[in-house]
Amino acid sequence: MNHVKLLFFATLRERMGIKTLDLDVPADLTIQGLKDRLSAEYPKVNASLKSVVVSINREFAPDESVIPQNAEIGMFPPVSGG
Amino acid sequence: MQPSNFPTIFSITEDEIDLNDLLARITLTSTGAAAIFTGMVRGETSRRGSTQANAGDEHQTEYLEYEAYIPMAEEKMKQVADEIRAKWDAIEGIAIVQRIGKLYPKTPTVLIACTAAHRDTGVFEAARYGIDRLKEIVPIWKKEVSPGGEFWVEGEYMPKAGE
Repeated sequence: MNHVKLLFFATLRERMGIKTLDLDVPADLTIQGLKDRLSAEYPKVNASLKSVVVSINREFAPDESVIPQNAEIGMFPPVSGG
Repeated sequence: MQPSNFPTIFSITEDEIDLNDLLARITLTSTGAAAIFTGMVRGETSRRGSTQANAGDEHQTEYLEYEAYIPMAEEKMKQVADEIRAKWDAIEGIAIVQRIGKLYPKTPTVLIACTAAHRDTGVFEAARYGIDRLKEIVPIWKKEVSPGGEFWVEGEYMPKAGE
């Protein structure tokens, strides 16, 4: 199992009701697998998962990325700074 | 001066954006031009041309509340500066600053400034590119609070891996 830390921002943070979540996940879990797990365990976040942007260790990561050990995973909507 | 010595400033701050200080810090003895973009909170919005759900609705804004994934945002600001330098090699100094927290109408929220020896070096385009890229890849979000309620402003750009 890999330990990972999830960080939620904006709508993801509000829907989850938490800023961070520590998880132990299978070593071969992908971002898509992580989304599926969150969707099943936290249905309230489903609406935000459709257009979620995901980062692994502060770099944008596609759904097929395998999550490394001790990863810092950011989950957030498309950005709206400026 | 070697390009590696050109000043690059990038930060997320809760403090007021000090244009004069930032401009001084990216002005070299060889600098003759600066292009500065700054954005501020609108108190009255008409969302013409927007794809937001309330497109076309004119409405009042009480304040915007900004948040950022600060360490990643600062890394991505650095990346935007690197991209600017790769596209316009005449650029000398670059400052990219986003203010976060609760910001009220007329308050500057963001600043992109680029300096160069002359105005015809691409310095205007460089600043324009900087704000456009910030709005695509720098993880910052804002929630709009108005008399009618509040909603998160969401962008549309989905960054690609490695971007």
